[in-house]
Amino acid sequence: MKKAILYINQFFGQIGGEEKADFEPEIREGLVGPAMELNKQLNGAEVTHTIICGDNFMGSNEKEAVGRIMKFLEGKDFDIFFAGPAFQAGRYGNACGVICKAVKEKFDVPVISSMHIENPGVEMFRKDVYIFKGGNNAGRMRQDIGAMAAFGNKLLNGEELLWADAEGYYGRGKRHQVWLESKEPASKRVVDMLVKKLNGEPFVTELPIPKKDTVAVAPAIKDLGKANIAVVTTGGIVPLANPDRIQSASATRWGRYDYSKMDRLDAGDFKTIHAGFDPAAANADPNVIVPLDALRAYEKEGKIGKLHEYFYSTVGTGTTQGEAARMAREIVEYLRDAKVDGVIMTST
Amino acid sequence: MKLEIGNFHVKDIVFGDETSYRQGILTINKKEALDFVLEDEHITEAELLIVKPGDRVRLVPVKEAIECRVKVNGSTLFPGVTGDVMPAGDGRTHALKDCSLLVVGKHWGGFQDGLIDMSGEGAKYTYYSQLKNIVLVGDTDEEFEKNEQQKKNHALRWAGHKLAEYIGSCVKDLDPEDIETFELDPVTKRSEDLKKLPSMVFVMQPQSQMEEMGYNDLVYGWDMNHMVPTFMHPNEVLDGAVISGSFMPVSSKWSTYEFQNNPTIKELYAAHGKTINFLGVIMSNLNVALEQKNRAALFVAQMAKSLGADGAIVAEEGYGNPDADFIACIVALEDAGVKTVGITNECTGRDGESQPLVALDVKADAIVSCGNVSELIELLPMETVIGELESLGRDGLSGGWANDEILGPSVKPDGSIIMENNAMFCGDQVCGWSPKTMKEF
Repeated sequence: MKKAILYINQFFGQIGGEEKADFEPEIREGLVGPAMELNKQLNGAEVTHTIICGDNFMGSNEKEAVGRIMKFLEGKDFDIFFAGPAFQAGRYGNACGVICKAVKEKFDVPVISSMHIENPGVEMFRKDVYIFKGGNNAGRMRQDIGAMAAFGNKLLNGEELLWADAEGYYGRGKRHQVWLESKEPASKRVVDMLVKKLNGEPFVTELPIPKKDTVAVAPAIKDLGKANIAVVTTGGIVPLANPDRIQSASATRWGRYDYSKMDRLDAGDFKTIHAGFDPAAANADPNVIVPLDALRAYEKEGKIGKLHEYFYSTVGTGTTQGEAARMAREIVEYLRDAKVDGVIMTST
Repeated sequence: MKLEIGNFHVKDIVFGDETSYRQGILTINKKEALDFVLEDEHITEAELLIVKPGDRVRLVPVKEAIECRVKVNGSTLFPGVTGDVMPAGDGRTHALKDCSLLVVGKHWGGFQDGLIDMSGEGAKYTYYSQLKNIVLVGDTDEEFEKNEQQKKNHALRWAGHKLAEYIGSCVKDLDPEDIETFELDPVTKRSEDLKKLPSMVFVMQPQSQMEEMGYNDLVYGWDMNHMVPTFMHPNEVLDGAVISGSFMPVSSKWSTYEFQNNPTIKELYAAHGKTINFLGVIMSNLNVALEQKNRAALFVAQMAKSLGADGAIVAEEGYGNPDADFIACIVALEDAGVKTVGITNECTGRDGESQPLVALDVKADAIVSCGNVSELIELLPMETVIGELESLGRDGLSGGWANDEILGPSVKPDGSIIMENNAMFCGDQVCGWSPKTMKEF
């Protein structure tokens, strides 16, 4: 019987929620939490150990955490390594990616995880780890574990592995040739594709070209002393009540807020709702993200002509490129109407 | 222009007293055929063999594949190559089907030569593994290129083209078993029903990147490096106006057999009048300098536009540098409002992680992909090797190597081999037969 080990976080390890996110890594013999389901669905291996680590501990002490877990694994006999599923939890996704990559490098065994498409861990680790396309919440646990286990079974049994889309994991950027089951020759495929393209019907290219969305650098503002300057941020600074209900991650909404009567943003009136960084400093002084105080000083000195009446805000973490571009297009309308000459973009 | 190809379906090939064709049996008088080949004083050694699917045979270095044919009106089979420059693509040509003539070096190979296995795992990589093949194995007095990685292979290739016509002559006066007819009305003289269909052109980019003459594909005997794109009738391509060269890593090659039987042209003929109005072929080429690439793309786009083409298929014989010609041509066509689909192979590396084409553009949004030139292939030994197995590693075949720190030599002492797909003879079948595609893993 082959052997598997599963990595999970403090929550799924039944240690506790956010308050236990600093939980230091532990290895336990046998099955904890999702390991039970994994063990049930694996038919080529048994899960011998469960590793549990707090998401913050991994996030803040990565080297230490990875080092300790590698020590746990030394001398252990295992053929395959799983982590998660991490659903849409960003820190958990990161932790699963970090540990899978380290295990693969050190022990050269297959590593498998599962995450929702909006989990930042997907883009960070898809090249290194088989990350299956998972749900966005733990309601999908059984299904996501099932996908991880089914692929694990194929790997352990030496079965033929299909490509990413067919197996259900995020492509790892490795393109290889395959023989089509249909045996349809390229000549037929190319004529069919042309006829579809000519008739405006949908077709699927066999060589997707990554879209490069490069933006040309704008020409310099000739006379900054006469320019109307605006601030746009993805740092999530909003009035305390978050009146536009901008999401703390994967944002689809944005807001514009009048600060024309203020000389600085006061901590009692503004805060950040961004979930991707420690908010303490920004909440104590929102000007570190929307630098109203500094820009007022520049305005007085005549360094800039004027500061536009509003600042524009959304949240950048987990936000897709598509949504970000749409929001930008909407914001640009207002900037154009107000004859803004230049924009300071702040991110976090 | 109306081309009739009268087919004779070869069920078996044997050696015998008289070169002849009877009821599916092609008989070749070996001595007479070899005497004909040896009329060229540059051919120093020649042997003729027959291989069939399932034979435990490996052929390397393979230089060319040709279909044995004859023009019933007595014209030369490859105008400007085997005889005078005269029109191709009209009238009756007789063809020996389901078999090819393969030209193999007895000793020496090069960058542009390849490998064919007639059975086993290796047989899935090449089209010719499925055909009955007459094999001409020879050596020449071309000492100047014996140790060159790039070989013109002139004597052996020309011997093949002439021998294909010599053998094909045995069916000149016979009644074919079936006849394929290829006919297109002149572009401006087409029926109203045809004009209602979206019209398209097939843009071919044969290999012509060698500045020195003697290596490139030829059109009516003319080196395609020395031309700008021109309009051709597809029948000319099917009837011997173009012959393959001796330059490209061989999995990307279009052999002469593949021009004669071009499956994409045949597919376009099948769709003509049903889903498309096939205007014809814009014969382009592949170049080295950026200005040449852009000039060719400009000519193609202008011609397509002037012909009123709504769509185009662009096919490239090669990879790497010529990807720039391929993408430039697609972009120029799209910019001219011609909806374009490309067909090519990729070079993503042994690990699959490299950029698939040297040049990319979002306007190339419809591409059919036929394989990865750098895929690693390991094959068991074969009972018989025709040619010289050592050539795979020794002579700089594009998919072979003399030694590698990790993988060792391409050719192992027991006769097993490890190589890149690059050296599979016409392995990516970009002419249109490819049963392969590319997927992300």
